[in-house]
Amino acid sequence: MKGDIGKPFDRIDARAKVTGTATYTSEIGVANAAHAVIVGSPIARGRILGIETAAAQQQAGVLAVLTPANAPQLPGAAPDPKKGERVLNVLQDDRVWYVDQPIAVVIADTLERAQHAAALVAVKHEAAPVDAALDASIGRAIDAGDLGPNGKASSARGDVASAMATATHRLEQVYRTQIQAHNPIEPHATTAVWHGDNRLTIYDATQGIFNVRDVLAKRFGLEPKNVRVISHYLGGGFGCKGSPWSHVVLAAMAARAVKRPVKLVLTRPQMFALVGYRPTTIQRITLGADARGKLVALSHDTTAECSRFDRFVEPSGLQSRHLYSCPNVTTSHRIVELDVGTPTFTRGPGATSGTFALESAMDELAYAANVDPVELRLRNHATRDEDEDKPYSAKTILQCYAQAAQRFGWSKRPMKPGSLRDGGKLVGWGMASVTYPAKQRPAAATARMLADGTLVVQSGTQDIGTGTYTIMSQIAADALDVPLERVRFELGDTALPEAPLSAGSMTAASVGVAVAGACAKLRAELAPQRRAPDEPWAAVVARSGKPEILATYAAVDSPERAKYSCHSFGACFVEVRIDPLLPLVEIGRIVAAYAAGTIVNPKTTRSQYIGGLVWGIGYALREVSVRDPRSARIVTRDLSDYHVPVETDVPDLEVIQVDEVDRHVNELGIKGVGEIGMSGVTAAIANAVFHATGKRIRELPITIDKLL
Amino acid sequence: MQPFTYVRARTVDEAVAAAGSDTRFVAGGTTLVDLMRLEVMTPRTIVDISGLPLDAIEEGPTGLRVGALARNSAVARDPRVRARYPVLAQALESGASPQLRNMATVGGNLLQRTRCSYFRDGVSACNKRAPGTGCAAFDGYHRMHAVLGGSEHCIAAHPSDMAVALLALDAIVHVRGPLATRTVPIADLFLLPKDTPHVEHTIGANELIVHVDLPATPFAAHSRYVKVRDRSEFAFALASAAVAFELRSGRVGEARIALGGVGTRPWRAREAEAVLAGQPPSPELVKKASAAALEGARPRKDNAFKVELARRTVARAFEELLVAQDAKDGGGAR
Amino acid sequence: MTHAVAVGARAPDLALPALVETADCPRVIAFVHRWHPGADGAALRAELRGLGAELVVVSGTGVWAFGPDDHAERVALLSPRQLATVGARFGVSGRGEAVFVVDEHGLVRIAHRSDAGLAGGLADAIAAAAQAMLADSAPAGMLDRREWNLAALVSGFAFVFLTGCKPRDRAQREAPVEAAALPEGLAIELDVNGKVRALRVDPRASLLDTLRERLGLTGTKKGCDMGQCGACTVLLDGERMLSCLTLAAMAQGKKIVTIEGLAQGDELHPMQRAFVERDGLQCGYCTPGQIMSAVGMLAEAGDRQLTDAEVRHGMSGNLCRCGAYPNIVAAIQSSRPGRP
Ligand SMILES: Cc1cc2nc3c(=O)[nH]c(=O)nc-3n(C[C@H](O)[C@H](O)[C@H](O)COP(=O)(O)OP(=O)(O)OC[C@H]3O[C@@H](n4cnc5c(N)ncnc54)[C@H](O)[C@@H]3O)c2cc1C
Ligand code: FES
Ligand code: FES
Repeated sequence: MKGDIGKPFDRIDARAKVTGTATYTSEIGVANAAHAVIVGSPIARGRILGIETAAAQQQAGVLAVLTPANAPQLPGAAPDPKKGERVLNVLQDDRVWYVDQPIAVVIADTLERAQHAAALVAVKHEAAPVDAALDASIGRAIDAGDLGPNGKASSARGDVASAMATATHRLEQVYRTQIQAHNPIEPHATTAVWHGDNRLTIYDATQGIFNVRDVLAKRFGLEPKNVRVISHYLGGGFGCKGSPWSHVVLAAMAARAVKRPVKLVLTRPQMFALVGYRPTTIQRITLGADARGKLVALSHDTTAECSRFDRFVEPSGLQSRHLYSCPNVTTSHRIVELDVGTPTFTRGPGATSGTFALESAMDELAYAANVDPVELRLRNHATRDEDEDKPYSAKTILQCYAQAAQRFGWSKRPMKPGSLRDGGKLVGWGMASVTYPAKQRPAAATARMLADGTLVVQSGTQDIGTGTYTIMSQIAADALDVPLERVRFELGDTALPEAPLSAGSMTAASVGVAVAGACAKLRAELAPQRRAPDEPWAAVVARSGKPEILATYAAVDSPERAKYSCHSFGACFVEVRIDPLLPLVEIGRIVAAYAAGTIVNPKTTRSQYIGGLVWGIGYALREVSVRDPRSARIVTRDLSDYHVPVETDVPDLEVIQVDEVDRHVNELGIKGVGEIGMSGVTAAIANAVFHATGKRIRELPITIDKLL
Repeated sequence: MQPFTYVRARTVDEAVAAAGSDTRFVAGGTTLVDLMRLEVMTPRTIVDISGLPLDAIEEGPTGLRVGALARNSAVARDPRVRARYPVLAQALESGASPQLRNMATVGGNLLQRTRCSYFRDGVSACNKRAPGTGCAAFDGYHRMHAVLGGSEHCIAAHPSDMAVALLALDAIVHVRGPLATRTVPIADLFLLPKDTPHVEHTIGANELIVHVDLPATPFAAHSRYVKVRDRSEFAFALASAAVAFELRSGRVGEARIALGGVGTRPWRAREAEAVLAGQPPSPELVKKASAAALEGARPRKDNAFKVELARRTVARAFEELLVAQDAKDGGGAR
Repeated sequence: MTHAVAVGARAPDLALPALVETADCPRVIAFVHRWHPGADGAALRAELRGLGAELVVVSGTGVWAFGPDDHAERVALLSPRQLATVGARFGVSGRGEAVFVVDEHGLVRIAHRSDAGLAGGLADAIAAAAQAMLADSAPAGMLDRREWNLAALVSGFAFVFLTGCKPRDRAQREAPVEAAALPEGLAIELDVNGKVRALRVDPRASLLDTLRERLGLTGTKKGCDMGQCGACTVLLDGERMLSCLTLAAMAQGKKIVTIEGLAQGDELHPMQRAFVERDGLQCGYCTPGQIMSAVGMLAEAGDRQLTDAEVRHGMSGNLCRCGAYPNIVAAIQSSRPGRP
């Protein structure tokens, strides 16, 4: 209407964040809160025989030490992994499944006292032999069954084997990806406040407050309405804060035990052990193509690690089902159960690890067929989703290739590896296709027009740094023609209308549609009561004699959407620079183009894209959680040993936001931008490394030793 | 953190008097506070020496004298250090982060402790943290560990960049004990792990480092530090090299080569220095010298690459020095 | 009817039709003369959370009822006569003020009435009540504290806070301090954002935890507690340092500036403004550390204009997991006059 959608407004919450007044979970004022510290298991597999807590308990200020021996049995049912419920380790038995599993919780009046007392807890255990390396145990792989929210674990169309026999170019390669730890800079934090025995408020660093509410209600046998979860600001999530882990339940348990509020913040090393990770994968890709490089067969078989007590399957093969036109395609996912904590969704799950394999293989095919990598992708362009057999709601990938290639100067690229140099450095150019699913889930919102003209819009969603506060305010301002400053968007409280978790790049679409719906409904209610076409809404409310007029709207997927395959697309071009003597890979530049439907705010959207690219740089070049196979302990367990990219690892990144109108995906045409930045970039980097050095690295991360 | 008594020293004498076996000095705190929080170090008393007047950088009897409490950033920034001991400024600049360099002191940097993650995790077998428990790194994950100077009891790498540069500069460390002041040549400061990896250096528990002298050697000004790590900044060395030499009528005169990231202590490569002495610099000579520098390396599965990497690091430092020399001489040196 | 509100007895009904009296949640019932929703703000809510309680304020400005995370809602406006009736039920006289803590079973846990009015405001009064309850639940050898003399507690409590602002004798400050000998901790003074605060700390307490947990300055963030992320960066005597590896005791005598001390009232510091304009943040958790580090870096550079490469190098101690790096460089470069 008045065009607030699409404008690069400054982030609404930025002022609070730059002044330090934005209160993150552990900063919410709770008088007399005690501090809880989790004691982790030193062994990966076996039983706890006993826990010596006397020394801890004698420390001044220690209020309680909970162990499997004295922790209350929770009244609620244990979670069922078959229903997608996460299995938590909350002192209910003596079994140990992974290193650092919570085996005791120390609660004291100050953090310093709790921390030291935790160090005094001694454990007697019976350890069983450990199996913690995917490679060594791949013989034990089992079919993954299904991919949870991502549907079936395998797919097949046509006949790959026969088609391979006819192919001119055949390629079969194995690609390996490493453990990536989410490592938001804000550690997981929970503060639990009981109001009597039956009501609980949880302040939690979470991407999904309703999820936390439901899990706690279930475990403590409470009415969901008696559990309130609040999260106004989140210091990064990336998947690990997607649903509650053990510490959230433990915090509530601890608060009940000591009859006072309890604050529990994980330590950085615990962030590597207790809250999931992107699992190791071994991916086998087979490609068959005709002489021109047109695919005739494709298979993508993924084996990923998982814990023994729960399920998570890294869905690496999904994009391979539809990204390219190919009559014969199979994909499969298998898992190997190890003595490790459960992996989980990590920014761009599946697509990040999966496009590394697929798009590296496509680059290898380009060289096998001697076709320019962009041209190869054009020859294999899919105009409809051949897996779901549906048209795409919109697919603007050709413009992405064209615009990014042009901007990058791709046409000047010599095909031969090792042919570009600058100063003493080897220069390489690589590219990859980019795709990510556009998801949506039911969400509700309430819009309230107050008598002073303030528009309050509420939805129980989260802002995890993605700009939810800002873009929802824009959508609301636009719908009711009010200045952005008069809109107050409230989120992060289960007392508000229910919204889905902030993950899967679906918040903008899901909540956006709900907000737009609530505002449209409110407008429909207010507009007829206007005395003049431009009469301020405040006047209408004032006349009504009520303090406010409100409307609530619950959005669901439109039936229209089901007729289409909904994905965002893009193209990523990378230049690497490598000193041949000391070959630490540097990123020279990245040009990436994305088409993701309606962009509510190009400024915050650009930030999402570059964030994804930075993650891609980390995954491709720097980051790895190394597990010692003997103990199953993560050895690189802090931010000194685990190398998140630093400022100097990241050049200026150029992002092209390609116009796309998607009339089918949802009412607003929004597809979501939080994760697509991670798709393709890792392969584009590896392909650029090949172009620079002639070395094809099929195992991430591409550290200096691999290029010596 | 284990409870402790906090004592703030007002004078050097007070600090030394307060010292003892269960006592630690705290200067910048960037090693000590970290390891105390991990309960890897558990002193009963800590003596805060940060207020002592030991932070001067001034002309000493043999060259520049750097106070033990001079901050890493201040030393790196000092124009005299930059001109006369460039390797030291470069080593300091390449270490840690700007904030940490503002906190870290010369004395603390020398006595910082290994970053071996089995040492830091508080539970794994580690002869350095808990003598007699074994070395989890030996057959474990040891990508960051030493290829030189290790024993079956410990292969933890010494993490300091600064100490590597000081080794190449023949620095002299001055320490104050309860009775006397003594000097320790930097080469005698650090110990090999052998079968007592928990004993890391020759400074007594009741000795305070007061300053470090940087002798005015003929090679100090012609020196370079090259550090290779897993990301472009803010990481410990996989390999580093401090190289210094004097060029006398087209030949290498006295030379120093010290390595970081690859040794259980800051590593002086005397064999390599000997290869260079008296020779005209050439790519082949550099190759021979850098090969000699890694003579005797005992790599293990995850750190085997460091042998080659360290050779190349030495070569790069040389190369850069020669290029710098070329530029200075208008191309006459080679 | 005073006995009706004795500790341990059932609390009388407020009997206000507009008020839904939730049975299963602890409540604080306060009688104060005048009250408005802005009063005591964050502190009041923190106290309510600490007690897990909702608050009912009976006052001349109305009856307000709300939980710690709700907007304060006025549920009724009482006439002076009605007020007197309700007050009488709780034994509160016309001039008096009072605080009652009622547990989820409806039993009075703390009763404090004062004819002279509550000293130090409602938040302080509730804080004192909470202290009394904590002491009560403490296990060993406590006195029998059925009726607390809350007036003493309240003023005692206020004293602890107020002394925080009084600089102590200089000579005393410079003496070597033997800490563990003092059971209540180490007495220190910190000069934070231009204010000297005196407090007693555990010698183990970091400057970071002291700022966040003791001084209510939560703008400084904890990302790792190991010196590895930069989120806790503050200025000490103008230089950027990490508060997680600085013991609070060691920060004495230094001028500490945190993110809260950067803006001049409502006027943002140019660096803060630049971060807003250039979207140099996403989740915002690393942001205070980035900004303090950037301010420190520019101070180190003096008049010299830094190149982008120098800015990157200078900011390499501050991790941003959201990946705002390019925007952070842009923000820093644009924060100085004379740059685009
Ligand atoms: C995240 C991180 C990254 C780092 N990266 C690097 C790097 O890349 N390269 C590098 O070289 N270093 C690095 N460091 C280490 C850093 O340089 C050291 O922690 C620092 O130099 C120690 O100095 P300090 O003054 O803080 O020492 P403190 O922590 O105060 O003391 C360290 C030890 O030295 C003793 N000590 C201190 N001063 C004296 C004295 N005058 N006399 C006798 N004993 C004394 C103390 O008792 C203590 O045992 C890093 C540190 C961290 C936390
Ligand atoms: S919290 Fe201090 S550096 Fe991370
Ligand atoms: S903005 Fe989230 S970590 Fe930097």
